[in-house]
Amino acid sequence: MPTLIYGPGYGNYDFGDRHPFSPVRAEATLDLMRQLDIDAEPVIPEPATIDEVCSIHDREYVETVEALGTGEDVSDFERFGLGTADNPIAPGMGEGARHLVGGTLTGARRLMSGADERILQLGGGLHHAKRSFAAGFCVYNDLSIAIKDLVDHGMYVAYVDIDAHHCDGVQETFYSSEQVMTISLHESPEFLFPGTGWVHELGRGMGRGHHLNVPLDPFTRGAGYLRAFDAVVGPALSWFRPDVLVVQAGADGHATDPLADLMLTTADYEALFRRLIALTDQHAKGRMLVTLGGGYSLHAVARVWAILGLVLWDMPVPAKVPQAWLERWRPLLGDAPEELHDAALEAAPGQEEIESHNRQTTTRLLDAVAPLWI
Amino acid sequence: MFVEEIMHRDVMTVSPDVTLAEAYQTLRRGRFRHLPVIEEGRLIGVVTDRDLRLATSRLADHPFAPEARVGDVMSSPVSTAHSRDPVEQAARVMRDARIGCLPVEEDGELVGILTVTDLIDAFLAVTGARRPSGRLELRLEGRPQEFAALTKVFADLDVSIASILTTQESDGGTRVIVRPETIDLRQVASRLCAEGFEIVWPPPLACQP
Repeated sequence: MPTLIYGPGYGNYDFGDRHPFSPVRAEATLDLMRQLDIDAEPVIPEPATIDEVCSIHDREYVETVEALGTGEDVSDFERFGLGTADNPIAPGMGEGARHLVGGTLTGARRLMSGADERILQLGGGLHHAKRSFAAGFCVYNDLSIAIKDLVDHGMYVAYVDIDAHHCDGVQETFYSSEQVMTISLHESPEFLFPGTGWVHELGRGMGRGHHLNVPLDPFTRGAGYLRAFDAVVGPALSWFRPDVLVVQAGADGHATDPLADLMLTTADYEALFRRLIALTDQHAKGRMLVTLGGGYSLHAVARVWAILGLVLWDMPVPAKVPQAWLERWRPLLGDAPEELHDAALEAAPGQEEIESHNRQTTTRLLDAVAPLWI
Repeated sequence: MFVEEIMHRDVMTVSPDVTLAEAYQTLRRGRFRHLPVIEEGRLIGVVTDRDLRLATSRLADHPFAPEARVGDVMSSPVSTAHSRDPVEQAARVMRDARIGCLPVEEDGELVGILTVTDLIDAFLAVTGARRPSGRLELRLEGRPQEFAALTKVFADLDVSIASILTTQESDGGTRVIVRPETIDLRQVASRLCAEGFEIVWPPPLACQP
Protein backbone atom coordinates (compact mmCIF):
# COMPACT_ATOMS: atom_id res chain seq x y z
CA MET A 1 0.00 0.00 0.00
CA PRO A 2 1.22 3.49 -0.72
CA THR A 3 1.79 5.91 2.12
CA LEU A 4 0.13 9.28 2.45
CA ILE A 5 1.97 12.13 4.15
CA TYR A 6 0.07 15.14 5.38
CA GLY A 7 -0.01 17.21 8.54
CA PRO A 8 -2.13 19.99 9.97
CA GLY A 9 1.03 22.14 10.03
CA TYR A 10 0.78 22.43 6.24
CA GLY A 11 -2.02 24.92 6.78
CA ASN A 12 0.49 27.39 8.25
CA TYR A 13 1.99 27.97 4.81
CA ASP A 14 -0.72 30.47 3.99
CA PHE A 15 -0.36 33.86 2.33
CA GLY A 16 -3.97 34.88 2.84
CA ASP A 17 -7.35 34.48 1.18
CA ARG A 18 -6.48 36.35 -1.98
CA HIS A 19 -3.27 34.43 -2.64
CA PRO A 20 -3.47 31.57 -5.19
CA PHE A 21 -1.15 29.15 -3.36
CA SER A 22 -3.71 28.23 -0.74
CA PRO A 23 -3.49 25.33 1.72
CA VAL A 24 -7.18 24.77 0.99
CA ARG A 25 -6.11 23.03 -2.21
CA ALA A 26 -4.57 20.15 -0.27
CA GLU A 27 -7.35 20.13 2.35
CA ALA A 28 -10.06 19.83 -0.29
CA THR A 29 -8.04 17.14 -2.06
CA LEU A 30 -7.62 15.11 1.12
CA ASP A 31 -11.34 15.38 1.78
CA LEU A 32 -12.14 14.24 -1.75
CA MET A 33 -9.71 11.31 -1.43
CA ARG A 34 -11.47 10.24 1.77
CA GLN A 35 -14.90 10.55 0.23
CA LEU A 36 -13.70 8.42 -2.66
CA ASP A 37 -12.83 5.76 -0.04
CA ILE A 38 -9.09 5.89 -0.47
CA ASP A 39 -8.02 4.08 2.66
CA ALA A 40 -5.07 6.16 3.83
CA GLU A 41 -4.42 7.47 7.29
CA PRO A 42 -1.79 10.14 6.75
CA VAL A 43 1.61 9.96 8.36
CA ILE A 44 2.03 13.31 10.14
CA PRO A 45 5.59 14.56 9.57
CA GLU A 46 7.75 16.59 11.90
CA PRO A 47 8.66 20.01 10.54
CA ALA A 48 12.17 20.18 9.11
CA THR A 49 14.79 21.77 11.34
CA ILE A 50 16.59 24.98 10.43
CA ASP A 51 19.76 22.94 9.85
CA GLU A 52 17.94 20.63 7.44
CA VAL A 53 16.66 23.64 5.50
CA CYS A 54 20.22 25.02 5.42
CA SER A 55 21.41 21.92 3.54
CA ILE A 56 20.25 23.82 0.45
CA HIS A 57 19.54 27.39 1.52
CA ASP A 58 21.87 30.10 2.83
CA ARG A 59 21.56 30.53 6.59
CA GLU A 60 21.15 34.29 6.31
CA TYR A 61 18.18 33.79 4.01
CA VAL A 62 16.61 31.18 6.28
CA GLU A 63 17.07 33.36 9.34
CA THR A 64 15.40 36.23 7.52
CA VAL A 65 12.41 34.08 6.53
CA GLU A 66 12.04 32.75 10.09
CA ALA A 67 12.33 36.21 11.64
CA LEU A 68 9.76 37.71 9.25
CA GLY A 69 7.43 34.81 9.98
CA THR A 70 7.53 35.50 13.70
CA GLY A 71 6.84 39.19 13.18
CA GLU A 72 10.34 40.46 13.91
CA ASP A 73 11.32 43.79 12.45
CA VAL A 74 13.76 42.88 9.68
CA SER A 75 15.14 45.25 7.10
CA ASP A 76 16.54 44.55 3.66
CA PHE A 77 14.39 41.48 2.98
CA GLU A 78 13.50 42.47 -0.57
CA ARG A 79 16.85 41.28 -1.89
CA PHE A 80 15.66 37.79 -0.95
CA GLY A 81 12.51 38.12 -3.08
CA LEU A 82 10.41 38.45 0.08
CA GLY A 83 7.66 40.99 0.64
CA THR A 84 6.49 40.78 -2.97
CA ALA A 85 3.10 40.00 -4.48
CA ASP A 86 4.10 36.35 -4.98
CA ASN A 87 5.90 35.92 -1.68
CA PRO A 88 4.35 38.35 0.77
CA ILE A 89 5.33 38.36 4.40
CA ALA A 90 2.94 36.08 6.24
CA PRO A 91 2.83 35.09 9.89
CA GLY A 92 4.36 31.66 10.45
CA MET A 93 5.67 31.37 6.92
CA GLY A 94 9.01 29.94 8.01
CA GLU A 95 7.44 27.34 10.23
CA GLY A 96 4.74 26.57 7.65
CA ALA A 97 7.37 26.11 4.96
CA ARG A 98 9.34 23.82 7.28
CA HIS A 99 6.25 21.65 7.75
CA LEU A 100 6.06 21.17 3.98
CA VAL A 101 9.81 20.46 3.81
CA GLY A 102 9.41 18.00 6.69
CA GLY A 103 6.76 16.12 4.72
CA THR A 104 8.87 15.73 1.59
CA LEU A 105 11.93 14.86 3.67
CA THR A 106 9.95 12.25 5.62
CA GLY A 107 8.88 10.74 2.31
CA ALA A 108 12.50 10.55 1.12
CA ARG A 109 13.63 8.92 4.38
CA ARG A 110 10.85 6.34 4.35
CA LEU A 111 11.89 5.37 0.83
CA MET A 112 15.52 5.07 1.93
CA SER A 113 14.66 2.91 4.94
CA GLY A 114 12.71 0.58 2.70
CA ALA A 115 9.56 1.15 4.75
CA ASP A 116 7.63 2.30 1.70
CA GLU A 117 7.80 2.18 -2.06
CA ARG A 118 5.06 4.58 -3.17
CA ILE A 119 4.55 7.79 -1.29
CA LEU A 120 2.17 10.65 -1.86
CA GLN A 121 3.15 13.82 -0.02
CA LEU A 122 0.01 15.93 -0.04
CA GLY A 123 1.84 19.24 -0.15
CA GLY A 124 5.20 20.73 -1.05
CA GLY A 125 6.59 20.88 -4.56
CA LEU A 126 8.07 24.36 -4.05
CA HIS A 127 10.34 24.07 -7.05
CA HIS A 128 11.02 27.80 -7.62
CA ALA A 129 12.79 28.52 -4.30
CA LYS A 130 16.47 29.32 -4.85
CA ARG A 131 19.45 29.16 -2.52
CA SER A 132 18.71 32.59 -1.09
CA PHE A 133 15.74 33.82 -3.09
CA ALA A 134 12.02 33.24 -2.74
CA ALA A 135 10.04 33.20 -5.99
CA GLY A 136 6.76 32.02 -7.46
CA PHE A 137 5.08 31.29 -4.10
CA CYS A 138 8.06 29.17 -2.99
CA VAL A 139 10.12 29.97 0.10
CA TYR A 140 11.95 26.73 0.99
CA ASN A 141 12.67 24.19 -1.70
CA ASP A 142 11.37 20.97 -0.14
CA LEU A 143 12.23 19.02 -3.29
CA SER A 144 15.88 20.08 -3.39
CA ILE A 145 16.25 19.43 0.34
CA ALA A 146 14.75 15.93 0.07
CA ILE A 147 16.69 15.05 -3.08
CA LYS A 148 19.91 16.30 -1.43
CA ASP A 149 19.23 13.94 1.46
CA LEU A 150 18.76 11.03 -0.94
CA VAL A 151 21.93 11.97 -2.81
CA ASP A 152 23.92 12.26 0.42
CA HIS A 153 22.92 8.67 1.13
CA GLY A 154 24.36 7.55 -2.18
CA MET A 155 21.17 7.35 -4.19
CA TYR A 156 20.74 8.30 -7.81
CA VAL A 157 17.60 10.38 -8.09
CA ALA A 158 15.46 11.07 -11.13
CA TYR A 159 13.13 14.03 -10.78
CA VAL A 160 10.20 14.52 -13.11
CA ASP A 161 8.31 17.80 -12.95
CA ILE A 162 4.92 18.02 -14.66
CA ASP A 163 4.03 21.44 -13.23
CA ALA A 164 3.21 23.96 -15.99
CA HIS A 165 6.18 26.06 -14.83
CA HIS A 166 9.87 25.22 -15.14
CA CYS A 167 11.52 23.80 -12.01
CA ASP A 168 14.26 26.46 -11.97
CA GLY A 169 15.11 26.06 -8.27
CA VAL A 170 15.56 22.28 -8.37
CA GLN A 171 17.46 22.40 -11.66
CA GLU A 172 19.82 25.04 -10.31
CA THR A 173 20.57 23.04 -7.14
CA PHE A 174 21.69 19.98 -9.05
CA TYR A 175 22.85 21.55 -12.33
CA SER A 176 26.41 20.21 -11.97
CA SER A 177 25.44 16.88 -10.42
CA GLU A 178 25.62 13.54 -12.18
CA GLN A 179 23.69 11.92 -9.34
CA VAL A 180 20.45 13.74 -10.11
CA MET A 181 18.54 13.86 -13.35
CA THR A 182 15.87 16.55 -13.64
CA ILE A 183 13.23 16.33 -16.36
CA SER A 184 10.74 19.15 -16.66
CA LEU A 185 7.82 19.44 -19.04
CA HIS A 186 6.33 22.92 -18.98
CA GLU A 187 4.81 25.74 -20.95
CA SER A 188 7.41 27.57 -23.02
CA PRO A 189 9.58 30.00 -21.02
CA GLU A 190 9.12 32.46 -23.84
CA PHE A 191 5.72 33.17 -22.33
CA LEU A 192 5.55 31.72 -18.87
CA PHE A 193 7.25 32.38 -15.56
CA PRO A 194 10.08 31.91 -14.62
CA GLY A 195 11.52 32.41 -18.12
CA THR A 196 13.96 29.49 -17.95
CA GLY A 197 13.69 25.86 -18.99
CA TRP A 198 14.91 26.07 -22.57
CA VAL A 199 16.05 22.99 -24.45
CA HIS A 200 19.67 24.14 -24.35
CA GLU A 201 19.76 24.01 -20.53
CA LEU A 202 21.34 20.57 -20.28
CA GLY A 203 23.48 20.82 -17.15
CA ARG A 204 27.02 21.88 -16.39
CA GLY A 205 30.23 19.88 -16.00
CA MET A 206 29.48 16.37 -14.73
CA GLY A 207 25.78 17.25 -14.81
CA ARG A 208 25.71 17.80 -18.55
CA GLY A 209 23.02 15.68 -20.18
CA HIS A 210 21.34 15.16 -16.81
CA HIS A 211 18.93 18.09 -17.06
CA LEU A 212 16.20 17.93 -19.64
CA ASN A 213 13.67 20.59 -20.47
CA VAL A 214 10.66 20.13 -22.71
CA PRO A 215 9.13 23.57 -23.30
CA LEU A 216 5.71 23.19 -24.88
CA ASP A 217 3.72 25.80 -26.78
CA PRO A 218 0.84 27.53 -25.04
CA PHE A 219 -2.44 25.66 -25.69
CA THR A 220 -0.69 22.32 -26.06
CA ARG A 221 -3.24 19.56 -25.49
CA GLY A 222 -3.03 16.19 -23.84
CA ALA A 223 -2.19 14.15 -26.94
CA GLY A 224 0.77 16.37 -27.76
CA TYR A 225 1.88 16.55 -24.14
CA LEU A 226 1.83 12.77 -23.77
CA ARG A 227 3.67 12.35 -27.06
CA ALA A 228 6.44 14.65 -25.81
CA PHE A 229 6.47 12.84 -22.44
CA ASP A 230 6.82 9.45 -24.13
CA ALA A 231 9.53 10.66 -26.45
CA VAL A 232 11.71 11.99 -23.63
CA VAL A 233 10.98 10.57 -20.19
CA GLY A 234 11.16 6.84 -20.92
CA PRO A 235 14.46 7.00 -22.81
CA ALA A 236 15.94 9.33 -20.17
CA LEU A 237 15.06 7.06 -17.24
CA SER A 238 16.15 3.98 -19.11
CA TRP A 239 19.57 5.59 -19.64
CA PHE A 240 19.93 7.05 -16.13
CA ARG A 241 18.56 4.06 -14.16
CA PRO A 242 17.77 5.90 -10.92
CA ASP A 243 17.30 4.39 -7.46
CA VAL A 244 14.19 6.47 -6.91
CA LEU A 245 11.83 8.72 -8.83
CA VAL A 246 10.68 12.01 -7.30
CA VAL A 247 7.69 13.58 -9.05
CA GLN A 248 6.43 17.12 -8.69
CA ALA A 249 2.80 16.71 -9.73
CA GLY A 250 1.73 20.31 -10.14
CA ALA A 251 -1.72 20.44 -11.71
CA ASP A 252 -1.56 23.89 -13.29
CA GLY A 253 -1.28 22.37 -16.74
CA HIS A 254 -5.04 21.79 -16.49
CA ALA A 255 -7.06 23.59 -19.16
CA THR A 256 -8.92 25.70 -16.59
CA ASP A 257 -5.86 26.87 -14.67
CA PRO A 258 -5.82 30.66 -14.34
CA LEU A 259 -2.01 31.01 -14.26
CA ALA A 260 -0.89 28.96 -17.25
CA ASP A 261 -1.99 28.13 -20.79
CA LEU A 262 -1.64 24.38 -21.27
CA MET A 263 -4.81 22.40 -22.10
CA LEU A 264 -4.63 19.15 -20.17
CA THR A 265 -7.75 17.37 -18.95
CA THR A 266 -8.18 15.05 -15.99
CA ALA A 267 -8.05 12.12 -18.41
CA ASP A 268 -4.65 13.32 -19.61
CA TYR A 269 -3.46 13.49 -16.01
CA GLU A 270 -4.70 9.98 -15.34
CA ALA A 271 -2.76 8.75 -18.37
CA LEU A 272 0.29 10.67 -17.16
CA PHE A 273 0.11 9.19 -13.64
CA ARG A 274 -0.23 5.66 -15.01
CA ARG A 275 2.85 6.22 -17.18
CA LEU A 276 4.84 7.56 -14.22
CA ILE A 277 4.00 4.50 -12.13
CA ALA A 278 4.89 2.13 -14.96
CA LEU A 279 8.20 3.94 -15.49
CA THR A 280 8.94 3.79 -11.76
CA ASP A 281 8.43 0.04 -11.74
CA GLN A 282 10.46 -0.36 -14.90
CA HIS A 283 13.40 1.96 -14.24
CA ALA A 284 13.40 3.21 -10.62
CA LYS A 285 13.15 0.03 -8.54
CA GLY A 286 9.49 0.77 -7.88
CA ARG A 287 10.36 3.64 -5.55
CA MET A 288 8.41 6.83 -6.05
CA LEU A 289 7.81 9.98 -4.06
CA VAL A 290 5.11 12.28 -5.43
CA THR A 291 4.53 15.82 -4.16
CA LEU A 292 1.92 18.37 -5.06
CA GLY A 293 2.87 21.67 -6.68
CA GLY A 294 1.17 24.45 -8.58
CA GLY A 295 -2.47 24.36 -9.61
CA TYR A 296 -4.84 27.21 -8.91
CA SER A 297 -8.27 26.11 -10.00
CA LEU A 298 -9.65 24.40 -6.90
CA HIS A 299 -12.03 21.98 -8.57
CA ALA A 300 -9.38 21.04 -11.12
CA VAL A 301 -6.57 20.38 -8.63
CA ALA A 302 -8.81 18.45 -6.23
CA ARG A 303 -10.02 16.18 -9.02
CA VAL A 304 -6.56 15.78 -10.62
CA TRP A 305 -4.88 14.95 -7.31
CA ALA A 306 -7.72 12.68 -6.17
CA ILE A 307 -7.28 10.79 -9.44
CA LEU A 308 -3.56 10.64 -8.62
CA GLY A 309 -4.52 9.04 -5.31
CA LEU A 310 -6.88 6.55 -6.96
CA VAL A 311 -4.20 5.55 -9.46
CA LEU A 312 -1.51 5.19 -6.77
CA TRP A 313 -3.84 3.12 -4.59
CA ASP A 314 -4.78 0.94 -7.59
CA MET A 315 -8.43 1.88 -7.40
CA PRO A 316 -10.86 2.42 -10.27
CA VAL A 317 -11.77 6.03 -11.08
CA PRO A 318 -15.51 6.46 -10.46
CA ALA A 319 -17.64 8.66 -12.70
CA LYS A 320 -19.06 11.06 -10.13
CA VAL A 321 -17.67 13.49 -7.62
CA PRO A 322 -19.35 12.65 -4.28
CA GLN A 323 -22.24 15.04 -3.63
CA ALA A 324 -21.21 15.57 -0.01
CA TRP A 325 -17.82 16.85 -1.15
CA LEU A 326 -19.38 19.22 -3.67
CA GLU A 327 -21.70 20.61 -1.04
CA ARG A 328 -19.01 21.01 1.55
CA TRP A 329 -16.68 22.94 -0.75
CA ARG A 330 -19.34 24.67 -2.85
CA PRO A 331 -18.59 28.18 -1.56
CA LEU A 332 -15.00 27.91 -2.81
CA LEU A 333 -15.64 25.76 -5.86
CA GLY A 334 -18.12 27.90 -7.70
CA ASP A 335 -19.54 26.15 -10.70
CA ALA A 336 -17.74 22.81 -10.47
CA PRO A 337 -18.39 19.79 -12.66
CA GLU A 338 -20.14 16.84 -11.02
CA GLU A 339 -18.13 14.30 -12.97
CA LEU A 340 -14.67 13.34 -11.75
CA HIS A 341 -13.36 13.49 -15.30
CA ASP A 342 -13.63 16.54 -17.53
CA ALA A 343 -15.66 16.46 -20.70
CA ALA A 344 -13.44 16.13 -23.77
CA LEU A 345 -12.19 19.45 -25.13
CA GLU A 346 -13.81 20.84 -28.23
CA ALA A 347 -11.73 21.04 -31.38
CA ALA A 348 -9.76 24.27 -31.76
CA PRO A 349 -7.77 25.73 -34.62
CA GLY A 350 -4.00 25.99 -34.62
CA GLN A 351 -3.28 22.54 -33.18
CA GLU A 352 -1.22 21.43 -36.19
CA GLU A 353 1.21 24.33 -35.81
CA ILE A 354 1.49 23.75 -32.08
CA GLU A 355 2.15 20.06 -32.59
CA SER A 356 4.67 20.67 -35.33
CA HIS A 357 6.60 23.02 -33.07
CA ASN A 358 6.42 20.68 -30.09
CA ARG A 359 7.67 17.78 -32.18
CA GLN A 360 10.64 19.84 -33.27
CA THR A 361 11.33 20.74 -29.65
CA THR A 362 11.52 17.11 -28.54
CA THR A 363 13.63 16.21 -31.57
CA ARG A 364 16.08 19.01 -30.81
CA LEU A 365 16.30 17.93 -27.19
CA LEU A 366 16.94 14.27 -28.04
CA ASP A 367 19.50 15.26 -30.68
CA ALA A 368 21.29 17.45 -28.14
CA VAL A 369 21.53 14.77 -25.46
CA ALA A 370 22.28 11.83 -27.77
CA PRO A 371 26.06 12.41 -27.78
CA LEU A 372 25.99 12.92 -23.98
CA TRP A 373 24.18 9.68 -23.24
CA ILE A 374 26.99 7.22 -23.83
CA MET B 1 24.82 50.29 -22.85
CA PHE B 2 28.36 51.22 -23.83
CA VAL B 3 30.88 49.27 -25.86
CA GLU B 4 33.19 48.96 -22.84
CA GLU B 5 30.51 46.99 -20.99
CA ILE B 6 30.40 44.15 -23.50
CA MET B 7 33.81 44.22 -25.27
CA HIS B 8 36.68 41.80 -24.68
CA ARG B 9 39.64 43.46 -22.97
CA ASP B 10 42.38 40.86 -23.43
CA VAL B 11 43.15 41.30 -27.10
CA MET B 12 45.64 39.12 -28.92
CA THR B 13 47.43 41.15 -31.62
CA VAL B 14 50.10 40.47 -34.25
CA SER B 15 52.72 42.53 -36.04
CA PRO B 16 52.45 42.91 -39.84
CA ASP B 17 55.68 40.92 -40.21
CA VAL B 18 54.22 37.71 -38.81
CA THR B 19 53.63 35.00 -41.41
CA LEU B 20 50.16 33.91 -42.45
CA ALA B 21 50.86 30.44 -41.06
CA GLU B 22 51.82 31.86 -37.65
CA ALA B 23 48.77 34.14 -37.55
CA TYR B 24 46.53 31.21 -38.47
CA GLN B 25 47.96 29.11 -35.64
CA THR B 26 47.38 31.99 -33.21
CA LEU B 27 43.71 32.15 -34.21
CA ARG B 28 43.29 28.40 -34.00
CA ARG B 29 44.90 28.11 -30.57
CA GLY B 30 42.90 31.01 -29.19
CA ARG B 31 39.67 29.83 -30.85
CA PHE B 32 38.78 33.24 -32.20
CA ARG B 33 38.51 34.85 -35.62
CA HIS B 34 39.85 38.42 -35.54
CA LEU B 35 43.42 39.63 -35.03
CA PRO B 36 44.23 43.36 -34.86
CA VAL B 37 47.54 44.16 -36.50
CA ILE B 38 49.79 46.52 -34.55
CA GLU B 39 52.87 48.35 -35.76
CA GLU B 40 54.88 50.54 -33.40
CA GLY B 41 51.96 50.62 -30.95
CA ARG B 42 49.57 51.79 -33.63
CA LEU B 43 46.60 49.84 -35.00
CA ILE B 44 47.12 49.51 -38.75
CA GLY B 45 44.80 46.66 -39.75
CA VAL B 46 42.79 43.59 -38.90
CA VAL B 47 43.32 40.11 -40.23
CA THR B 48 40.61 37.49 -39.90
CA ASP B 49 40.63 33.73 -40.34
CA ARG B 50 38.60 34.31 -43.48
CA ASP B 51 41.24 36.73 -44.85
CA LEU B 52 43.89 34.07 -44.27
CA ARG B 53 41.93 31.23 -45.80
CA LEU B 54 40.91 33.24 -48.87
CA ALA B 55 44.43 34.62 -49.38
CA THR B 56 45.98 31.15 -49.31
CA SER B 57 43.19 29.32 -51.10
CA ARG B 58 44.11 27.40 -54.22
CA LEU B 59 40.93 28.88 -55.68
CA ALA B 60 42.39 32.38 -55.45
CA ASP B 61 43.73 34.03 -58.60
CA HIS B 62 47.14 34.55 -57.02
CA PRO B 63 47.34 32.50 -53.84
CA PHE B 64 49.69 33.72 -51.14
CA ALA B 65 52.21 31.30 -49.65
CA PRO B 66 51.91 30.42 -45.96
CA GLU B 67 55.21 32.28 -45.47
CA ALA B 68 53.75 35.57 -46.77
CA ARG B 69 53.39 38.46 -44.29
CA VAL B 70 50.16 39.43 -42.54
CA GLY B 71 50.73 43.01 -43.64
CA ASP B 72 50.11 41.91 -47.24
CA VAL B 73 46.64 40.42 -46.71
CA MET B 74 45.17 42.36 -43.78
CA SER B 75 42.18 44.70 -44.09
CA SER B 76 43.30 48.29 -43.80
CA PRO B 77 42.36 50.97 -42.88
CA VAL B 78 40.24 49.73 -39.98
CA SER B 79 36.86 50.83 -38.64
CA THR B 80 37.13 51.25 -34.88
CA ALA B 81 34.91 52.03 -31.93
CA HIS B 82 35.53 54.08 -28.79
CA SER B 83 34.90 52.39 -25.47
CA ARG B 84 32.24 54.99 -24.64
CA ASP B 85 30.34 54.53 -27.93
CA PRO B 86 26.80 53.26 -27.49
CA VAL B 87 26.52 49.60 -28.41
CA GLU B 88 23.83 50.34 -30.99
CA GLN B 89 26.16 52.71 -32.81
CA ALA B 90 28.91 50.09 -32.94
CA ALA B 91 26.37 47.56 -34.20
CA ARG B 92 25.28 50.00 -36.93
CA VAL B 93 28.87 50.51 -38.09
CA MET B 94 29.48 46.77 -38.25
CA ARG B 95 26.22 46.17 -40.08
CA ASP B 96 26.83 48.92 -42.68
CA ALA B 97 30.45 47.92 -43.31
CA ARG B 98 29.51 44.21 -43.26
CA ILE B 99 32.32 43.37 -40.89
CA GLY B 100 32.53 41.04 -37.92
CA CYS B 101 34.56 43.04 -35.43
CA LEU B 102 35.53 46.50 -34.27
CA PRO B 103 38.81 47.11 -32.46
CA VAL B 104 38.13 49.49 -29.56
CA GLU B 105 40.47 52.43 -29.06
CA GLU B 106 40.95 55.18 -26.50
CA ASP B 107 43.31 58.02 -27.42
CA GLY B 108 44.77 55.97 -30.25
CA GLU B 109 45.49 53.02 -27.99
CA LEU B 110 43.90 49.60 -28.47
CA VAL B 111 41.91 48.73 -25.31
CA GLY B 112 39.58 45.98 -26.50
CA ILE B 113 37.71 44.29 -29.30
CA LEU B 114 34.01 43.99 -30.02
CA THR B 115 32.68 41.12 -32.15
CA VAL B 116 29.30 40.04 -33.47
CA THR B 117 29.29 37.36 -30.78
CA ASP B 118 29.51 40.06 -28.10
CA LEU B 119 26.51 41.77 -29.71
CA ILE B 120 24.55 38.51 -29.61
CA ASP B 121 25.43 38.15 -25.92
CA ALA B 122 24.21 41.71 -25.33
CA PHE B 123 20.98 40.91 -27.17
CA LEU B 124 20.47 37.85 -24.99
CA ALA B 125 21.17 39.88 -21.87
CA VAL B 126 18.60 42.48 -22.91
CA THR B 127 15.87 40.06 -23.98
CA GLY B 128 16.41 37.19 -21.56
CA ALA B 129 15.03 36.55 -18.11
CA ARG B 130 17.79 37.38 -15.67
CA ARG B 131 15.39 37.02 -12.76
CA PRO B 132 12.42 34.69 -12.46
CA SER B 133 9.72 36.52 -14.38
CA GLY B 134 6.85 36.10 -16.80
CA ARG B 135 6.19 37.87 -20.07
CA LEU B 136 3.45 40.42 -20.60
CA GLU B 137 3.00 41.99 -23.97
CA LEU B 138 0.89 45.07 -24.69
CA ARG B 139 0.35 47.74 -27.30
CA LEU B 140 0.58 51.43 -26.46
CA GLU B 141 -0.63 54.31 -28.59
CA GLY B 142 2.25 56.62 -27.85
CA ARG B 143 0.33 59.06 -25.63
CA PRO B 144 2.03 60.87 -22.76
CA GLN B 145 1.69 59.34 -19.29
CA GLU B 146 1.01 55.87 -20.68
CA PHE B 147 4.13 54.45 -19.10
CA ALA B 148 3.40 56.15 -15.80
CA ALA B 149 -0.06 54.56 -15.75
CA LEU B 150 1.47 51.24 -16.75
CA THR B 151 4.09 51.14 -14.04
CA LYS B 152 1.66 52.41 -11.41
CA VAL B 153 -0.34 49.20 -11.79
CA PHE B 154 2.79 47.21 -11.03
CA ALA B 155 3.53 49.38 -8.03
CA ASP B 156 -0.01 49.00 -6.69
CA LEU B 157 0.28 45.22 -6.94
CA ASP B 158 3.76 45.04 -5.33
CA VAL B 159 5.18 43.45 -8.44
CA SER B 160 8.73 44.28 -9.54
CA ILE B 161 9.62 44.64 -13.19
CA ALA B 162 12.63 42.62 -14.35
CA SER B 163 12.84 44.30 -17.76
CA ILE B 164 10.93 46.38 -20.30
CA LEU B 165 11.52 46.16 -24.05
CA THR B 166 9.79 48.26 -26.66
CA THR B 167 9.60 48.00 -30.44
CA GLN B 168 7.92 50.34 -32.91
CA GLU B 169 5.12 48.90 -35.00
CA SER B 170 4.51 49.92 -38.61
CA ASP B 171 1.25 51.73 -37.72
CA GLY B 172 3.06 53.99 -35.26
CA GLY B 173 2.06 52.08 -32.14
CA THR B 174 4.51 50.79 -29.60
CA ARG B 175 4.75 47.13 -28.68
CA VAL B 176 5.91 46.74 -25.11
CA ILE B 177 7.22 43.54 -23.56
CA VAL B 178 7.34 43.71 -19.80
CA ARG B 179 8.86 40.96 -17.67
CA PRO B 180 7.04 41.14 -14.33
CA GLU B 181 8.56 39.25 -11.42
CA THR B 182 5.42 37.31 -10.69
CA ILE B 183 4.05 33.88 -11.49
CA ASP B 184 0.53 35.32 -11.45
CA LEU B 185 0.68 37.19 -14.73
CA ARG B 186 -3.06 37.29 -15.29
CA GLN B 187 -3.60 39.21 -12.10
CA VAL B 188 -1.43 42.01 -13.54
CA ALA B 189 -2.91 41.65 -17.01
CA SER B 190 -6.50 41.86 -15.86
CA ARG B 191 -5.74 45.00 -13.87
CA LEU B 192 -4.00 46.59 -16.86
CA CYS B 193 -6.87 45.59 -19.09
CA ALA B 194 -9.31 47.23 -16.67
CA GLU B 195 -7.20 50.39 -16.89
CA GLY B 196 -7.76 50.38 -20.64
CA PHE B 197 -4.49 48.88 -21.83
CA GLU B 198 -4.52 46.66 -24.90
CA ILE B 199 -3.07 43.31 -23.86
CA VAL B 200 -1.42 41.15 -26.51
CA TRP B 201 -0.28 38.39 -24.13
CA PRO B 202 -1.60 36.64 -22.05
CA PRO B 203 -4.55 35.81 -24.31
CA PRO B 204 -8.12 37.07 -23.85
CA LEU B 205 -9.24 37.46 -20.28
CA ALA B 206 -11.91 39.22 -18.35
CA CYS B 207 -10.92 42.66 -17.08
CA GLN B 208 -11.09 42.85 -13.32
CA PRO B 209 -11.11 46.10 -11.43
